[in-house]
Amino acid sequence: MPVITVNDGEAVFECRDGDNLLRAGLRAGVGLPYECGVGACGCCRGEVVEGQVDDLWPEAPGLSARDRRKGRVLTCQSRPQDDVRLHLQLDAHAVPVIRPLRRTVRLAAVRDVTHDIREFVFQADAPADFLPGQYAFLALPGVPRERAYSMANLPNEAGEWHFRIRRVAGGEATGTLFDHLAPGATAQLDGPYGLAHLRPDSPRDIVCIAGGSGLAPMLSVARGAAAHPALAGRRLDFFYGGRTPADVCGEAELASLPGYGAQVRYHAAVSDPAAAEAARWPGAVGPVHELVERTLGERLDAAEFYLAGPPPMVEALQQLLQVTHRIAPERIHFDRFF
Amino acid sequence: MKKLCPTADVPTGGCRRIELPDRPPLAVFNLDGRFYVTDDTCTHGDASLCDGEIDCDDGVVECPYHQGAFEIASGRPAGAPCSIPLRVYRVEVKDAAVFAAVDETEAVPCP
Repeated sequence: MPVITVNDGEAVFECRDGDNLLRAGLRAGVGLPYECGVGACGCCRGEVVEGQVDDLWPEAPGLSARDRRKGRVLTCQSRPQDDVRLHLQLDAHAVPVIRPLRRTVRLAAVRDVTHDIREFVFQADAPADFLPGQYAFLALPGVPRERAYSMANLPNEAGEWHFRIRRVAGGEATGTLFDHLAPGATAQLDGPYGLAHLRPDSPRDIVCIAGGSGLAPMLSVARGAAAHPALAGRRLDFFYGGRTPADVCGEAELASLPGYGAQVRYHAAVSDPAAAEAARWPGAVGPVHELVERTLGERLDAAEFYLAGPPPMVEALQQLLQVTHRIAPERIHFDRFF
Repeated sequence: MKKLCPTADVPTGGCRRIELPDRPPLAVFNLDGRFYVTDDTCTHGDASLCDGEIDCDDGVVECPYHQGAFEIASGRPAGAPCSIPLRVYRVEVKDAAVFAAVDETEAVPCP
């Protein structure tokens, strides 16, 4: 079994069962830096100074030409052939609170959320242990690569993992999920992963901003905040941005939280003016970041932010929060998927 | 224009972190005798770019935290995971010292 040595002995771990370097390290409780786990964000870069790895995705966008020139690898796309000595900067924040595990799960229930988002409930034999806002990898029968999906529910003893997944046109994984997988079918789940989880120790008001299937992790964060004793009575503003009124969702789930309408508020914006007019949408029209700025006003500068959604939405929000309002990046939580 | 430091304080191919009251720290870079001033804190995380690696050939600074990168002259992101440009400031060199327009509210746009 390959033994991985980080920074000449700062950390040492074994890599089992064909794991990549990142997941093996996290399973062993080592703080290897990462965000997406799928080769896109580039946060898990390192240098293999001894030993050989298989590159699972040579064209991964997380590595630039300069990185390749310098011989860097993505730990999330590197499978060791033998013992490996690795150099990278360990990150105390990345030490997993809950160590990820592989387990077999069974599809227990499916229900429609919108015209193109469905909730899939997978059942495991052991308790579902994760932090609100985290994600897991699902290996589906007949689909060659795993996919990362965020949980929408809260950790639970019953072993239920709820995912809200948006159908991707022509997508292999969502095609299998939406059209072929029947209740009772089994899949492999590996998790939890992700650093954009609820921070109950933050003293600030909470703002969750979701678009598309980013609804799932933001619902989990909002549900987690409502359930956490340290956050009782805390102001929570939940924003959802959809293209058309038919895409807007999440209000019903927010409405079931304690304090809804008082300290817990839901706001939605529709970005397509023609669709808004055709459906006589009574709410805000425009990109969701404009609604966030307008609604929060001065409160914006004193909040803790959780974001999940399509990259252009997340980027516009980063511009607004980090560049215009100079909010420190440590107060803005999201995992970068592309 | 605000005086930041003597040019002799910033070696060629190096940088120096400058702390001014009531504002985020700045980084002064010297690329082959040309001086540039940017914010010092990476736009992706809480890390000082002055602790990072400067690649003079590419005119790029790499964040020590995740090796995200920025073009020093423009602030443009030059490597994942950085996606938000770094704020850059207009610079003048006068009397062997580096000055920067740190109070200009608008960032210099990426060329």
